[in-house]
Amino acid sequence: MSGRVMVGIFQDEHDILSVTREVRKEGYTILDIYAPYAVHGLDKAMGLQPSHLPWICFLLGLIGAAAKIWFEYWTSASDWAINVGGKPWNSLPAFIPITFEVMVLFAGVSTVIAFFIVSRLYPGRRAATVIPGVTNDRFALVLEESDAAFDPVQVRRLLERYGAVEVIERAEEFLP
Amino acid sequence: MNGQWRLSSSFERWLYVMAVAGFLTLATGLFFSPQRALGSLLMAGFGLVCVGLAGIFFVAILYASGAAWGTAFRRVPEAMSAILPYGAAVLAVVFLFGSSLYPWIDNRREIAGFKAVWLNFPFFLARAVLYVALWLLFTRAILKTSRLQDDTRDPAARRRNAKLSVMFLVVFGITFSLASFDWVMSLEPNWSSTIFGIYNFAGLFSSGLAVIILLVIWMRRVGPLRDFVTDEHLHDLGKLLFAFSTFWMYIWFSQYMLIWYADIPEETVHYIGRQHQYWMPLFILNMLLNWAVPFVVLLPKRTKRTGNLLAKVAVVVLLGRWLDLYLMIQPATGGSNPQFGPWEVAAIVGTFALFILVFARAMRSAPSVPLGDPFLAESLHYHN
Repeated sequence: MSGRVMVGIFQDEHDILSVTREVRKEGYTILDIYAPYAVHGLDKAMGLQPSHLPWICFLLGLIGAAAKIWFEYWTSASDWAINVGGKPWNSLPAFIPITFEVMVLFAGVSTVIAFFIVSRLYPGRRAATVIPGVTNDRFALVLEESDAAFDPVQVRRLLERYGAVEVIERAEEFLP
Repeated sequence: MNGQWRLSSSFERWLYVMAVAGFLTLATGLFFSPQRALGSLLMAGFGLVCVGLAGIFFVAILYASGAAWGTAFRRVPEAMSAILPYGAAVLAVVFLFGSSLYPWIDNRREIAGFKAVWLNFPFFLARAVLYVALWLLFTRAILKTSRLQDDTRDPAARRRNAKLSVMFLVVFGITFSLASFDWVMSLEPNWSSTIFGIYNFAGLFSSGLAVIILLVIWMRRVGPLRDFVTDEHLHDLGKLLFAFSTFWMYIWFSQYMLIWYADIPEETVHYIGRQHQYWMPLFILNMLLNWAVPFVVLLPKRTKRTGNLLAKVAVVVLLGRWLDLYLMIQPATGGSNPQFGPWEVAAIVGTFALFILVFARAMRSAPSVPLGDPFLAESLHYHN
């Protein structure tokens, strides 16, 4: 990974949307986009694949519910059966609310943890921003200068045509 | 845009035939098999009133929350509310023959205490008139302001309707709760459940959303909403249907679990009949149609954005709504086994045809989108 990257910096949400569409149409490789907030429609403009997180959420939710049903059955009907109010030991309706809560807990917490893992976030990680402005009012589009066909002058002109306030080139190692 | 679309004349003729045949069959049923026909009529009347209320409730929610996204198809729930007076008329027929349906009308010894005061026939009728009058007044006022805005383009109409909507939502919450106690729960006067009102509201809104979805998809296909409604709107309607069918299950279970836990004979009597013999499969099917199927099918994003799939789920939810009303009403009218025959079919055919006829006329009476609404542009460009 010793390639160089080109960073176009914009100050308007609409500029970053239209330049992203154009750059993708031209076939350049977008490494990432940095923005101060979630821009509506940017995922479509970038052509991002749907996230896998819903699957993790769904499966962990199922596992949580199944584990809790089993645990309640084991505690109240098998390991230490206690007669409560004359109800059968294995009383499914009584188990449902707690099963529901545990399902939500598993699904929610595991989705957050999975999100941290896939985005490589952990406590104490140094904040990595391509330029400090992306935490405030700037949008940064990072392009890979992939091969000989990548003409920096031409791309720089394209970015400026879409309202780039600044275009910088960097070695990729300096990127977050 | 106004009045260009109409039902094809052959379809319209069929609908007239179906509506007249359906309700005539039910009328003869009042003499041949009064209990079942009355139960079917009550299902039809209450079902139609619920669909109408779901329409105006949805409109009121859009106004009260200042939501822009639904503006593009707001005329659909507005037109749905036109069925309200028809549903009320069907209910009036049911109450006319009420004494054979509601045991407390003649057998005054069956009830005691506060119920003896609350459940007396003149007061019951007066309350019904009051509920329906309030609903009609608010519906008329909100629709009038919305339609005036088409010409005046006055943004202040939105604020006026927001105020009306907030008042309506409070009135609706109280009156609909009481109406479902009066009209459905009092079929079994010695049974009571304080959550019954919200349980009925949950059914009203999830099935109302299913109706809105089907009508919006239909209106998009045949013309009036073709250039206005996008998959983004369907996506959000699908999310709401997903949420409220889950809400229905939540409330259903809240009612069931408390009664199961407490195990008091006068409360469990409601479920014992419905959980035995041939009722049991229907009891399970109710949960599958109203919750399990929509929950699983609507989980992925794709089904909520695909009109054909979403419409199928909406049909399943409507079947579930019918079954839910059937299980609320028919066991209480004295049927010892579930029966499905001419009276039930007549009620389904009649209500369907009547609803489509009334909806189509209401839809044609105004531009198919609220032209003067300041939020229309935002709604047309809405995306999730």
